Amino acid sequence: MDTILRNTKASSRQLYLDPRTKILLCITVSTVMLAMDNTGIFVYIIPVMTIVPLIFLAIIKSPMMAVYYGILYLVAFFVPKMIVAYLPQAVNLLFTGVLATMTRLIPGMSMFYFLIATTSVSEFIAAMERMHIPKVMTVPVSVMFRFFPTIVEEYHGITDAMRLRNVGSFRNPMDMLEYRLVPLMISLTAIGNDLSISALTRGLDAPNKRSNMCAIGFNVQDYIAIAVSVVILILAALSMAFGI
Amino acid sequence: MITTHNVNYTYENTIEGAALTCVTTDIAEGQVVLLCGESGSGKTTYIKAINGLLSHYYEGKMDGEIMVSGKDISKVHLYELARDVGSVFQNPKSQFYTLMTDTEIVFGCENMGFTHDDILKRFDKVVKAFKIEDLLGKNLYNLSGGEKQKVACASVGALMPKIFVLDEPSSNLDIKSIHELRDIIKIWKKNGKTILIAEHRLNWLKYVADRVICFEDGKIKFDTTAKEFFDYPVEKMHKFGLRAPEKFEPKFSTVQDGAESISISKMKLTKNKETILDIDNFEIPKGAVVAIVGNCGAGKSTLARCLCGLEKKAEGTVKLSGRKITPKERIKKSYMVMQDVNHQLFTSSVEEEVMLGVTDLSEEEKEQKLSKILEEMDISKYKEAHPMSLSGGQKQRVAIAGALACNKDVIFYDEPTSGLDYRHMKEVSESIKKLNDMGKTQFIITHDPELVQECCNYFIYMVDGKIELSGSWNKENIRFVQSFFKLD
Repeated sequence: MDTILRNTKASSRQLYLDPRTKILLCITVSTVMLAMDNTGIFVYIIPVMTIVPLIFLAIIKSPMMAVYYGILYLVAFFVPKMIVAYLPQAVNLLFTGVLATMTRLIPGMSMFYFLIATTSVSEFIAAMERMHIPKVMTVPVSVMFRFFPTIVEEYHGITDAMRLRNVGSFRNPMDMLEYRLVPLMISLTAIGNDLSISALTRGLDAPNKRSNMCAIGFNVQDYIAIAVSVVILILAALSMAFGI
Repeated sequence: MITTHNVNYTYENTIEGAALTCVTTDIAEGQVVLLCGESGSGKTTYIKAINGLLSHYYEGKMDGEIMVSGKDISKVHLYELARDVGSVFQNPKSQFYTLMTDTEIVFGCENMGFTHDDILKRFDKVVKAFKIEDLLGKNLYNLSGGEKQKVACASVGALMPKIFVLDEPSSNLDIKSIHELRDIIKIWKKNGKTILIAEHRLNWLKYVADRVICFEDGKIKFDTTAKEFFDYPVEKMHKFGLRAPEKFEPKFSTVQDGAESISISKMKLTKNKETILDIDNFEIPKGAVVAIVGNCGAGKSTLARCLCGLEKKAEGTVKLSGRKITPKERIKKSYMVMQDVNHQLFTSSVEEEVMLGVTDLSEEEKEQKLSKILEEMDISKYKEAHPMSLSGGQKQRVAIAGALACNKDVIFYDEPTSGLDYRHMKEVSESIKKLNDMGKTQFIITHDPELVQECCNYFIYMVDGKIELSGSWNKENIRFVQSFFKLD
């Protein structure tokens, strides 16, 4: 029978990359964007790091995400520069400052989206096991993978319900938040409870070694990505220690 | 295979009494047992006792002895039981752990640490037996409830346990999926598995079950053969709070004067280049109670969403008594009671919930209106209660009360009686009739023949986004709907 379970290598859906490589890429981009100053060699590396998520988003055929990313980044990059001169100090500190910080957060967030979008729960668990990370750590994180789409689904349901009752307009932001979050939390708690019951009755907590049907493993493309990431991380460490 | 001896159980933090009292049963290998009874009668608790959840997941007080395939439940771990007892639950959307069908089917086997080849063998076998080849490689989020439920069955099936327990597996399924679920149960039965099914909907199991155990207030009310049970008269079934598998005979057929009507023309909705709704011309009398029936994916929910103005991209016009109404106006005039009613209760008290969004009245008028509506919906007692502390049916009524307070004219229900017993179904139908008296037009998306016969006076049958048949209860229509709902 034709099934992904018979695959021995990462497929196009996984972008031919091992989950571990993707996690490393995620870490590299976030580290550089958050921790490094725009000095020395990083004058060149930072722009490259902002382009990387864009390339990945384009490859996984989510053009909308790539466009969002582009617009969000450009806004966060240029708007503060344009308005900073015309606003009072306090506003600049709060509002414009936050916006400017966004330029540092957005690439890391996009890489995270890319990781979630191309990695299945089983692949993630498999990768974690190869790295000998204990179950107590992997199970909660893997549930998180599964929960993102659920949150989106439930959120849409609640939005519809709010429109029907004509409540929660932007005029009362606190009310809006409450009406959204209370039902969301309640249904997510219920789903989480059902989910753990169903997983436990299928032996999720078994102490034996778990077998893995997922095709994960390193290929040429993984080694290249890992080498590049490691070089950048070393440069970052050197730069922090000695200031190149 | 399964023996329980004097089992008592009380849930932690409960205001009600014991969930199980002195339950003694002996179930032989290869038996298919139907567990029935009202909501809260203890059948689900009994299921949880057998699959070990009571002893190992819930915190509560338990005594008595439960032996399942030679093991004392209280002494073995849940993961050890996983090889012996496979569990399928009620809600298809909250029982898959991975996101893809293939990986979900082998999830249990992976946990057990079976070898790679063994898992592939089990996978092939279960996929072939359940005929789910076309579901492979798909994202579980894009499947229908019935398809998800089949994958859930396949996932526990791949572990090849000797015992299967199913907790209200059909409550979120359409008629076609129930047929398919029954086929799966028949396969298990043929292979000599012992099967326990807790259910409200009974007639689909008429020729599958061997034995019926009925619960009441945590005790076993009766324990009989399926043959005898399905011969019980309808009144006796209803007395036990059971849904009776009887003939489809609409009992509600008040006639509206045809003066006012809602008419739809050229309504169309396309999503991802696929036409999911396409209705040319259609008219229903204002004040009707319309049952929208059809299988999953036929466009029932889409029709409801388009009519109440939630789908912004829908083309077409809707006229009320000859006057065109825009989607924006429609959303002001209509309300939908969702399948997951938790989504639409926002505040911290019933009182506040009902009057939410009502601003054009003085305090005094508000007070009057509130007490009138609470009275009508029979929830005055719970005025100050938190909506989330109420039962499912009460929550539904709070949601409807909110719609009444906002003067909504058209009310939609998305499967309001899925998983409800006879008494609660009756309550829902009573409140629908009450709203009919007030002159509201109501649309009910449902797979429940008993609800349709209790309170609908009009029906729409949908296939592939089109209205295939519709009308009030004439002989032909009754025969058609009856054969559509036929399950035995």
